[in-house]
Amino acid sequence: MSDAAAPRLVVEGLSRRFGATVALDGVGLDLRAGEIHALLGANGSGKSTLIKVLAGVEQADAGRVVLGARAMPAAELTPAVAHEHHLRFLHQQDSTFGPLSVAENLAAGTGYPRRAGGAIDWRRLRAETAGTLERFGIDAGPDDRLERLRPVTQQMVAIARLLQSQDDRQHGILVLDEPTAALARPEVRVLHEALRRYAASGQAILYVTHRLDELSGFADRATVLREGRVAGRLDGDEIEHDRLVELISGPLGVAGAPATRVAAARGGDVRLRVEGLRGGAVRNASLAVRAGEIVGVAGLVGSGRSSLLEMLFGTRRPEAGAIALDGEPLAWRGGRPHDAAAYVPEDRVRGAAFMPLTVTENIMAASTTRHWRGLRLRRGEEARFTRALMREQGITAAGERVAFRTLSGGNQQKAILARWLMREPAVLLLDEPTQGVDIGARAAIHDMVRAAVARGAIALVATSDAEEMAMLCDRAVLLVRGVTSGEVAGDELTAETLERLSYAQTTVEAGTRG
Amino acid sequence: MASAPIDDAVDERRRRRVSLSGRLNDRVEALALLGLAVLVALFFTLLPATGDTFPTVANFQALSGSQAVLAVATLAVLVPLICDEFDLSVGANLGLAGILSASAMSSGAPLVLGIAIAIGSGMLVGAINGVLVTRAHVNAVVVTLGVATIIHGVVQAKTSGNSITEGIPVGLLDLGSGTWLGVPRILLAALLAAGFLYYVLAHTPYGRRLYMLGANREAAKLVGLRTDRMLFSTFVIGGGLAGLAGILQVGRAGSAVPSIGEAFTLPAFAAAFLSAAAIQPGRFNVWGAIVAISFLTIINGGLNLAGAENYIADFVNGTALIIGVGLAVWLRRRRRAVPRRAADGPGAPVAEPT
Repeated sequence: MSDAAAPRLVVEGLSRRFGATVALDGVGLDLRAGEIHALLGANGSGKSTLIKVLAGVEQADAGRVVLGARAMPAAELTPAVAHEHHLRFLHQQDSTFGPLSVAENLAAGTGYPRRAGGAIDWRRLRAETAGTLERFGIDAGPDDRLERLRPVTQQMVAIARLLQSQDDRQHGILVLDEPTAALARPEVRVLHEALRRYAASGQAILYVTHRLDELSGFADRATVLREGRVAGRLDGDEIEHDRLVELISGPLGVAGAPATRVAAARGGDVRLRVEGLRGGAVRNASLAVRAGEIVGVAGLVGSGRSSLLEMLFGTRRPEAGAIALDGEPLAWRGGRPHDAAAYVPEDRVRGAAFMPLTVTENIMAASTTRHWRGLRLRRGEEARFTRALMREQGITAAGERVAFRTLSGGNQQKAILARWLMREPAVLLLDEPTQGVDIGARAAIHDMVRAAVARGAIALVATSDAEEMAMLCDRAVLLVRGVTSGEVAGDELTAETLERLSYAQTTVEAGTRG
Repeated sequence: MASAPIDDAVDERRRRRVSLSGRLNDRVEALALLGLAVLVALFFTLLPATGDTFPTVANFQALSGSQAVLAVATLAVLVPLICDEFDLSVGANLGLAGILSASAMSSGAPLVLGIAIAIGSGMLVGAINGVLVTRAHVNAVVVTLGVATIIHGVVQAKTSGNSITEGIPVGLLDLGSGTWLGVPRILLAALLAAGFLYYVLAHTPYGRRLYMLGANREAAKLVGLRTDRMLFSTFVIGGGLAGLAGILQVGRAGSAVPSIGEAFTLPAFAAAFLSAAAIQPGRFNVWGAIVAISFLTIINGGLNLAGAENYIADFVNGTALIIGVGLAVWLRRRRRAVPRRAADGPGAPVAEPT
C-alpha cells in the first residue's frame, strides 16, 4: 500500500437517522487507491447504512463526500452519481444468474456485442469473455454454466462483471459486502489473492466482513463502527483479532446489565433435550433446557440459529439426532409444527403476518376453532376476546377488524406473539423477536415472554442483539458454524462477553480447520 | 399493560376517530358497486328506448334466470381464487358435467342420479386439478388450461359435436324455466348454493383458513395449516360447483350442448375478481360476486334491450375483468383494505369504552 496515494474517496461527518434511531453519527472514512480497507462492526453498528449511503440508495442527513476531484454534500449521492465516479458494489444478495453461462453473466453488465442487423455476436462475446476471464485470473470458460462453478469462482465472476468496463482501473472503487459469507476457508484465500492483485493494479477496495480472522495480513487498514460512530481506526500490523474485538464490542461494563435471573431455574428438570441434531445450517447441536428457563441461541449470521429453531418447531426435517420434550421424542410430522411448540420467525412479513386480513384473524390464526361452536364461528365472541387480549397485551390498533398491515411493526410482533401465547405452548421458539421494533415494544415483548415462562413454558431465543440476549435470557448457547460450542450463564452473560465469544470462536474454529 | 391510563384514554379517542371515518369509508366502499348497479338499472328504466321493457317482471325473470348458471360458475371460480389459485377449467368442467348427466338421463337414469353424476364428475375433474397442482407442483393456470383442453376433446369424442336433447327429465326442465312466487327457480337454486358457500367461507374455521392461505401461504404453513390438502380441497369444491352449474345449464337450456361451458369461464372470472370490490372490499367474497353479476347482467341486459349488438356484451365483460383485477389488486394494497364486516357481525362496537 502506498501512503503517498491521494485518497480516492473521503467521507466526512456522515449522519443518518431513522426516526429516533441514529444509524450514523458523524462517520468519517477515507479510502486510498491500491488499498484494501476493512469496514467492521457488530450488527446494527451502521455498516450497512454507510454502504447504502455510498451507493446512493439511502440519503444522508448530513455529511460531505469527496470522490476524486469532486466534493459534494453526501445527500447528493445518487446511484447514477456513484456509478459515474466508478463506485461499484457487490451486495450480499446474489446478483448473478446461475442457469446462464459465464459469458452471459458478464454481458449482463455491459450489454451484448451485436452483429449488423442486431443479432448477438456470440463469437465475439466468447472471445471478449475469454479475455476478461484471463485479465481477472478466473478459472472458468465462457460457456460454463455459472451455477456449476465453485462458489468462489462465481463470486469472482460477479466482481469481474462490476470491474470489466473500467477503462482505467486507476479510478475504481470497489465495495464488497460480506463477500466471503458463503465461502469455505481455502476459497477465501483464493478470493483474497485475487483482490490483492486488483488492489495492486490501483483499485481501492472497501471490504465489509464479520470474519475477523481473515483480516490480518490481508487488509491494509480497518475502520470499526460502533453504534453509528467510528470506534477506531487501525493500520497494518495493528489489525489483530483482540484489538478488533475490543473496538467492536466496546469497553468492558458498558453493555446492558444482565437482568435478574430466575434463581429457581437452576435446579429444574430438563424439559427439552436436543442431541446431535443436524439439518440445514446446523451440523451438530446438543442442548438441554430446564423448566422455567429462557435460553438464548447466540451466533453470527449463518451459524444455524434459524435452522435449529425450525427443526425444533417441526417445519425442517432433521437429518440426524434426537429431540425430546419431557422425555417424549418429537417425531417428524411431515413438516407440520409440533402442537406443543410456538414459533415466531425472523421474517415477520414473510412468515407470520397475514397483512390484508384483520387483527382478529391474525391473532386467532393458530386457534381458528377456539370460537367454533354449534356449527358457527362465534365472531362476536371472538372479537370481544381479541379486544380483551389486545388490551391485556398492550396491542394498539384502530380496532380489532382493521387490516393487520395498518399496525406498527411492534404491535404486529406483539400480536403474533399473542397468537401463540393464547395456546399456552410448552416451548416458545423466538427468532429475532424484536428485530425492527422500537424500545417500548421490545420491553413489552420481553415481558410477554417472561410471563409465559412464569406460567410454565420454556423459551429458546435466537437473537443477534447481544444486549437483548443479556437482558432476556438466563443463559446462552453458542452456535458456531452449526455446532453448539459452549454456553454462557449467570453474571458472565453480558452483551460484551457474547460478542467477544462469537468472534473468538470463529477464530478457534478457523484455526482447527485452516 | 405498560402504558399509563392517560395514554390509554388518548389512544382510545384516536382509535374512535379513526374508526368513525373509517367505518363510513368502508360502508361506501362496500356498497359502491351495488349503488352503481341500481343507478344503471334506473338509467335503463328512464331511457325511452328501454323504459317499457326493462323494468318489467318478465325482464327480471329472463335476466336473473339466464345469469343463475353464471352465478354458480362464479362461485366455482371463487373458492380456489381465495387461495390465490386460478381454475380456468370451470367452464369446460361445467360443459362436461352437463353432457355426462344428460346422456345418463336420456338413457333412463333418474334426475337424482343425473345430479349426482354432474356434481361427481365436476369434483373428479377438480381432484385431478388439485393433485397436479399440489403434488406435481405444476402451476394451476397451466394445469387447468391443459385439463380444459383435454375435456374439450373428451366431450367432442363423446358427442361428435351433437347436442343431447332427448330424455331430459321434466323435473329438471321445471327447475330451469319455472318460477316460484314469481322468482325463477333456477335463481333460487343458485342463491341457495351462494348462501351455503357464504356460510362455509365466513362462518367456519375452514373458510377463515382459506383466506389465511390466500393472504400468506408461508405464514399459513407456519401456523400449522395443511396447505396442500386445503388447496386440493378448493379445487374439489370448485369442481363440484362447476358440476352443479353444468346440470342447471342443462335444465335452463333444455339440452346439453357440447362446448357451451367455455363461454362461462371469462365472465365468471370477471365477476369473481369484481367481488373484491363489493360487500367485503379487499377480499373475494360470495355476496360481492352476486352483486358483481347483477351489475354485469343489468348492463348487458339493458344494452341488449336498447338494441345493442350481442358483441357489446363481450366488450363489457372483458372491460369488467380488467377493471375487476385492477380493483382487487388496488384494494388489497390499500391501507384500510378490510371492511367493517370482515371480523364479525354488523352493529358491534369497534372499540369498547374503557
